[in-house]
Amino acid sequence: MSAVTQAAPARRGLSRESVQFAWRVAAALAVCIALSLLSDAFLTTNNLLNVLRQTALLFLMASGLTLVILTAGLDLSVGANIGLSACLAAIIIKSTGSPWLGVATGVGCGAAVGLLNGVLVTALRVPAFVATYGMMWLILGATYFYMGGETVHGFPPSFRQFGSGYFLGVPIPIYMMLLFLMLGTLFAQRTVWGQQIYAIGANPVAARLSGIPVERRLVLVYVVSGAMAGLASLILLARVNSAEADIGEHFTLPAIAAVVIGGTSLFGGSGTIVGTLIGALILTLVVNGMNLLQINASWQPLVTGVIILFAVWFDIRARRSGN
Amino acid sequence: MKYLSVASVLAVVAIASPAFADGETIAVFTKNQTNPYFQNVRVGTEAAAKALNVKVLQYIPTKPDSIPEQMSQVEDVIIKKPNAIVFVPVDYKALVPGVEKMNAANIPVVNFIDRIAGGQTVSFIGADDYSIAITSARHLLKAMNGTGNVVIIEGVKGSLTNVDRMRGFNDALKEFSNVKLLASQPGNYQRLQALQVMENLMQSFPKIDGVLAANDAMAVGAIEALEGANRKAHIIGINGTKEAVDLIKAGKMLASGDYNGFVQGCLAMTVAVRHLRGQPVPKEVLLKPVVVDKTNYQPYETPVEQRACPKLEDLTN
Amino acid sequence: MSTRGAIATGTFIARVPGVAVALVLLIAAFSLANPNFATLSNLQNILIQSTILLLLALPMTLIIMTEGLDLSMGAVLTLASIALAVTVIATGSTALGLAAALCVGLGFGLLNGALVAALDIPPFIATLGTLGIAQGLSLVATDGQSVVGIPRGLQQVYGGTFAGVPIPILIGIVAFAAVWLLLYRTRFGGYIFALGGNREALKLAGVGDRAVLIATYAVGGAMAGFAALLMTARMNSAHPTAGIGLEFDAIAAVAVGGTSFERGNGWLTGTLLGVLVVGVLRNGLNLMAVPSSAQVAGIGALVIAALLIDGLRSRP
Repeated sequence: MSAVTQAAPARRGLSRESVQFAWRVAAALAVCIALSLLSDAFLTTNNLLNVLRQTALLFLMASGLTLVILTAGLDLSVGANIGLSACLAAIIIKSTGSPWLGVATGVGCGAAVGLLNGVLVTALRVPAFVATYGMMWLILGATYFYMGGETVHGFPPSFRQFGSGYFLGVPIPIYMMLLFLMLGTLFAQRTVWGQQIYAIGANPVAARLSGIPVERRLVLVYVVSGAMAGLASLILLARVNSAEADIGEHFTLPAIAAVVIGGTSLFGGSGTIVGTLIGALILTLVVNGMNLLQINASWQPLVTGVIILFAVWFDIRARRSGN
Repeated sequence: MKYLSVASVLAVVAIASPAFADGETIAVFTKNQTNPYFQNVRVGTEAAAKALNVKVLQYIPTKPDSIPEQMSQVEDVIIKKPNAIVFVPVDYKALVPGVEKMNAANIPVVNFIDRIAGGQTVSFIGADDYSIAITSARHLLKAMNGTGNVVIIEGVKGSLTNVDRMRGFNDALKEFSNVKLLASQPGNYQRLQALQVMENLMQSFPKIDGVLAANDAMAVGAIEALEGANRKAHIIGINGTKEAVDLIKAGKMLASGDYNGFVQGCLAMTVAVRHLRGQPVPKEVLLKPVVVDKTNYQPYETPVEQRACPKLEDLTN
Repeated sequence: MSTRGAIATGTFIARVPGVAVALVLLIAAFSLANPNFATLSNLQNILIQSTILLLLALPMTLIIMTEGLDLSMGAVLTLASIALAVTVIATGSTALGLAAALCVGLGFGLLNGALVAALDIPPFIATLGTLGIAQGLSLVATDGQSVVGIPRGLQQVYGGTFAGVPIPILIGIVAFAAVWLLLYRTRFGGYIFALGGNREALKLAGVGDRAVLIATYAVGGAMAGFAALLMTARMNSAHPTAGIGLEFDAIAAVAVGGTSFERGNGWLTGTLLGVLVVGVLRNGLNLMAVPSSAQVAGIGALVIAALLIDGLRSRP
């Protein structure tokens, strides 16, 4: 892709992105309609709340990751980060009895890992893919060592509220999802820093020439991605009521998939936070639907793979015909 | 007199000094470092090793349950030539060539937990998944007074423990004709997965009276799901982990089938060492199924690190 | 030492790649730490164990040189292994089994290539999608169970020797030679270099860059299919989760070996060294019975260290 076409900032693409977003919402709705026709249990309040709550968890993990991918970067250590943050937070909560100290630990740990990733990628110029892959192993090893094959379980009800509590009949994680959706979108679309992040992804050379402190912004997105992973790990911990070393391992690829299905391009420069939410929703709907319809779980990777391909192919086509 | 005292001194010295046969090296293979069950197993092997004065090397794949990795570790360990190997295969069919390699290298193998589908082993120590499952399931069905609706949360498809446990659950269900099985879904032995499966099942079925979970982690997941929806049901799991014991004590879980990893580890190590020292060993030790519930959970509250290994003779009947 | 000699030595040291240094250091350290390490049988052991990864890492180098990636290799390897096992059991012929495995591998390779080249889907996503498809097919076809009942003869492919050399090592040598010749001595290899650094030149030369790209992924798929032969022979069975994660190991080996993700320059020997470094590290740690958690951390440290060294080195 030549520099000229990539230099066009996200502004002109917004309307095209709105169209893509509309298509995605339509796709999610179509899945919902199909499921409600196929299963009586789908359209019940409880089930819908369950789906949204599960989506919230995945969304929180993927929201920070969206920023990283907007800069044409990647973070493979998300899963390991979740494990480490959850385990550290769990131990702090157990030993001090204070949920808030646990929250601070979880988010702090996540952010620290993000900082390490950011430094590796910017100052030491290790490619993001391999840097975060190496970090994944490092963190996982440290967590295994620390936990020694044990689990930490049984947390105070005040902490459990995070994951399994309700407010006005709606699960708390859903409120968090909406909160961070708002914050994330405001940050990406309405702040200078957010616009700079898009610019860096679209054309790093031009961004640097126009005075954007590229390295500082890159470190920032990795820190945010890590902190969000830390936050998500707390909700996971609160839901599941126990921590073990590899509690996050199953989430790395689905988080990336959610971002990609949501319309964010791996080449950087285009995508939205709300798109990631729709991506997470579609992935969750598929699993929920398969559970409700009692379809053999072995089919899930296949269906997910096809959806990923289709979603991205669709975007590429739209992008090409838009040019 | 003098000879008697010299003899007695010699006898005392002989008993007090360590036997020259000691100091063997035993390599222990387990499936992963994430399931606390295997941690109990390893602690068991270490406890027995300490009592018998042997050295233990622990081998765990860095990728949980990785077949090629365990194979590579087997090949590497053979180079090291430990005196014996205590082995649970990551997959009971795929690792047969691994056991055959150990046989070819003349290293005695004690198989425990999952019965390997081939190769020569000195002995097999295990708990019978089938009888634990059927005993635990009967416990639940009796608590339900033989009527009501039940769901099953399965483990990993294709794993030996799962195959046998499902057979046990289903056979128990056949004995209680007034109990209806609503659904049987896999949770892959994972907590969160079981939680979400349970949530989804609760949508489809408004009345669930009992949950048969193939392991404790999944039972805990199911309990979380039920509590979140303010619903109640009897739940049993399998493994007898500390978490399950705490929940049984608190009345949130009905029972757990004791799949005593600690004891299996102890016994397997003991059998391996005895074989090396030329003592007779049983060809098979199958632990009797014990269901841990509110009446007998106390011994299980002691952390494994503080437990002592049971004697082999007490269990081989 | 004369000035010229000092400069020459300094330049030589600066040019020796990080991976070679790492390999030498690791071998030296493990030889000292454990008497079992530097024996012929153990070194053969390391080479045999590394073969499957090598067969994946070699074509992965080519793909990375085109600024691409193939995340589906492990899943395709697994599916091909299942196809091979089923065919050998049904027909009794290893040759037919290998053909089945190659078909599966080639099929997915072409699919990957088509998705990337014809539909312009980013390689990360395209191969993530086909990973899911291959993984799903493996699970559904076997319902999670191992495929057993393979005639014993197949095991010879992994455990047997030819002229005193273990067969897997021979296969590794042949594979390396073949890919080396392909990359450095054929026109096709030149096209691959061009795809990475200078696509315009390809177009000017009238060569279909899409065809070259598809062919590159096809080679990857075919080699994964071939590697399935070794994997199935090793375990005398096929299992739907056996190959999971191997593609990441292959990518790490390529990266540690010095092939860059961005500049399109590839170093095939570096990949070989990278594969050996991983194999030596794991074997050495196993021989020393280092706890598994430390092994996990060690692999991460190795990957990062190797790239740090190269990154620092390439500073102006």
